[in-house]
Amino acid sequence: MRHYEVVFLVHPDQSEQVPAMIERYRAVIEASEGKIHRLEDWGRRQLAYPINKLYKAHYVMMNIECGADELNELNSLFRFNDAVIRNLVIKRDAAVTDTSLLAKSEEEERGKRSSDSRDSDTSETAEDSSDKSAEDDADDSDETEAKAEEASA
Amino acid sequence: MSRYFRRKRYCKFTAEGVSEIDYKDLATLKAYVTESGKIVPSRISGTKAKYQRQLSTAIKRARYLALIPYCDSH
Repeated sequence: MRHYEVVFLVHPDQSEQVPAMIERYRAVIEASEGKIHRLEDWGRRQLAYPINKLYKAHYVMMNIECGADELNELNSLFRFNDAVIRNLVIKRDAAVTDTSLLAKSEEEERGKRSSDSRDSDTSETAEDSSDKSAEDDADDSDETEAKAEEASA
Repeated sequence: MSRYFRRKRYCKFTAEGVSEIDYKDLATLKAYVTESGKIVPSRISGTKAKYQRQLSTAIKRARYLALIPYCDSH
């Protein structure tokens, strides 16, 4: 059993399938007593450069502990799934469980954006599909709070 | 005579005692690539060899995942 860090990019049109995909991978890993130590959904991000003429992709990262067979299985799942446009597997020395810097900075940005400009935020929520609606709701509540603060100030 | 004053360069990672450079730490990585996306050489940045190696793998991983660009003409 080794520790790995897996990041994969999903086609933005297949974003809705991400929870199902994660469940499938979880089943593969946990079938032979592997573990998922950290699972992060970075959501749909702008790519730094276009991949296959795509400009956005849905990022998912997980830190797992599993054997070689499970990893091979996982790799073949990635390879033969057309929705996965790119994946990266890194060997790690230990289980990593704290939130990654990228996810942290994203949260901060989201907080900033919701208080700075409402217009850009609403346009984004329109783009994002229903699977992120829960998060967007949270954002909305933040906005209302920000509004309340402005009003009081 | 044309020599101008340059602040003494130092290795930020050694000073902070970083254990490992993370490819997800985009703010740090961006400080070590040029505007055109090249990795800044250690002779310019002053990064110690140990950290320069980690830095280059981190940057290359981030590039592969399209977190930072390979070059400015994408």
